[in-house]
Amino acid sequence: MSSDTQVLEPASSRPKEGVALRLTLPAFLLAVPILIFLAIFFFYPAINLLFFSLLTQDAKGIVGPPLTAAHYTRFFEVDLYLRVFWNTLRISLVTSAFAIVLGYPVAIVMAKSGPIVSRIIALIVIAPLIVSVVVRSYGWQLILANTPAGLLNWVLMSLGITSEPLAILYSETAVVIGSLHVFFPMMVLPLASALGKIDPNLEDCARTLGAPWWKVFLRVTLPLSVPGLVAGFTLVFSLTAGSFVTPVILGGTTATMLGNLIEQQIFVVYNWPFGAAIAVVLVLVVFAINTLSMRLLEGRRFRTMS
Amino acid sequence: MNRRLTGPGAWTLYFITAMLMVFILAPLAVVVAMSVSDSYFVSFPPQGFTLKWYAQILQDRDFLAALKLSCLLALSTTIGSLLLGVPAAIALTRSSFPGQTLLKGLVLSPLIFPALVTGLALMQLLSAMGSGDARINLLIGHVVVTSPYVIRAVVTSLLLVDFNLEDAARTLGANRLKTFWRITLPQIAPGVAAGALFAFMVSFDNYPVTMWLANSEYSPVPLVLMRQLVNVFDPSVPAMSTVIIILAVVGVLILERLVGLRRAAAV
Repeated sequence: MSSDTQVLEPASSRPKEGVALRLTLPAFLLAVPILIFLAIFFFYPAINLLFFSLLTQDAKGIVGPPLTAAHYTRFFEVDLYLRVFWNTLRISLVTSAFAIVLGYPVAIVMAKSGPIVSRIIALIVIAPLIVSVVVRSYGWQLILANTPAGLLNWVLMSLGITSEPLAILYSETAVVIGSLHVFFPMMVLPLASALGKIDPNLEDCARTLGAPWWKVFLRVTLPLSVPGLVAGFTLVFSLTAGSFVTPVILGGTTATMLGNLIEQQIFVVYNWPFGAAIAVVLVLVVFAINTLSMRLLEGRRFRTMS
Repeated sequence: MNRRLTGPGAWTLYFITAMLMVFILAPLAVVVAMSVSDSYFVSFPPQGFTLKWYAQILQDRDFLAALKLSCLLALSTTIGSLLLGVPAAIALTRSSFPGQTLLKGLVLSPLIFPALVTGLALMQLLSAMGSGDARINLLIGHVVVTSPYVIRAVVTSLLLVDFNLEDAARTLGANRLKTFWRITLPQIAPGVAAGALFAFMVSFDNYPVTMWLANSEYSPVPLVLMRQLVNVFDPSVPAMSTVIIILAVVGVLILERLVGLRRAAAV
């Protein structure tokens, strides 16, 4: 079929393109079902939610036409909501910062040890990813409990380090610890794969030329692993910002995040447009971080090319 | 191998890594330890040894109903996301057409979108449509969030398949479908299985989408566990959690066997 057309058409680049297009058309059709599915159940509802956040809800709870930005101004004017917004950004930022600092040692060991050690570390790092977030946060609740019956307090008091139980549970610290545990793999995996791609000779060179290990890390390893670092940061930040379970179990009423606020507005207050507006704010935060990191990586690529 | 990681820095790295492994395993170990505690409250240290909490949860109707619902939901979600995801993965790897990068971005976009918002938006649509069956609503929501995992796993394996074998089969007269069935599928089978298992686990554990779409009649395991955790303080909660941990460990070991964990979880 294809050879026929090639013989008949004049020898330009056009007929080749035509053939390629005809051959690939059926392959494209294979993606149509999922596109339709996502269009109906993902893209349309998402756009609809954005629209909803601009509508007004009357006293009877009916959501109707007069378009308004009042929900957004309310969100950024009321102290309570603004505090939750900053809480969310702070918790996400601190969690990803800790994930970076703690992720490097693990990723380096994972990338540079023998197959057995690296496999065991991978198993331990990845396995919890598949255990429900509810279970993992519950585990932290048992460890951090504010009474002497919590694991941490029991250990500290048995060793005589403290006489009074520490109060870590139901604070931002507890949420950061829990989120770090939940999303740590999302930092280690991209970091380890970026580190695995670095030519070991470069580090050897730096060492042979007399650089101490920290200088080798700062001048060779770190700059070359930036793609993994940025990917991991984006993942950990976005996932932490959108979390719901961890702040409920470990944050209690003090460390509320945007996810909890959305749930309250929908299920408790029944203020749909306001809930939708907070959801849009959350999406914008996540998109901003993703765009920022993509820009960062693209800029880097241009610099290395020129 | 040791050549690469030596010196005073190496021991520091190993030490930090070991501490982090403890950090990762500690909350799971505590949950398992508490589940066999012979006391009426969950408090550290655990007392004695008993399996009575397991006996109790195996008679708990709510928990068993949730377990059954979660298994059926995860199974149908897996089938749904395979039916939609595998063809999409082929479209993304076996041809090139304008807008392919855009297509890839679109089908993977549920991964970067906050799942909480995905669920909320879907609930709003489904309630406006008057779709009252929580089971169907949950299935739709779970397929939205799991299909990208299947697509990613299958795309990765398709890229590793030797194109020449497919060309050879086509040249020898096999049609597209037969080529896929006899040549491509056997080669990507581990990747498809890994994607399927990942979809199953993600669906089984999902909370942020489930919380919007479930109702009091149909509540999957994570929701029931969350409810128990707030209302019940005896070791039956750690026992339920341990059951979930054991299921996850089984899944992880199968994944490791199939394609290797790091590839399965490739982020």
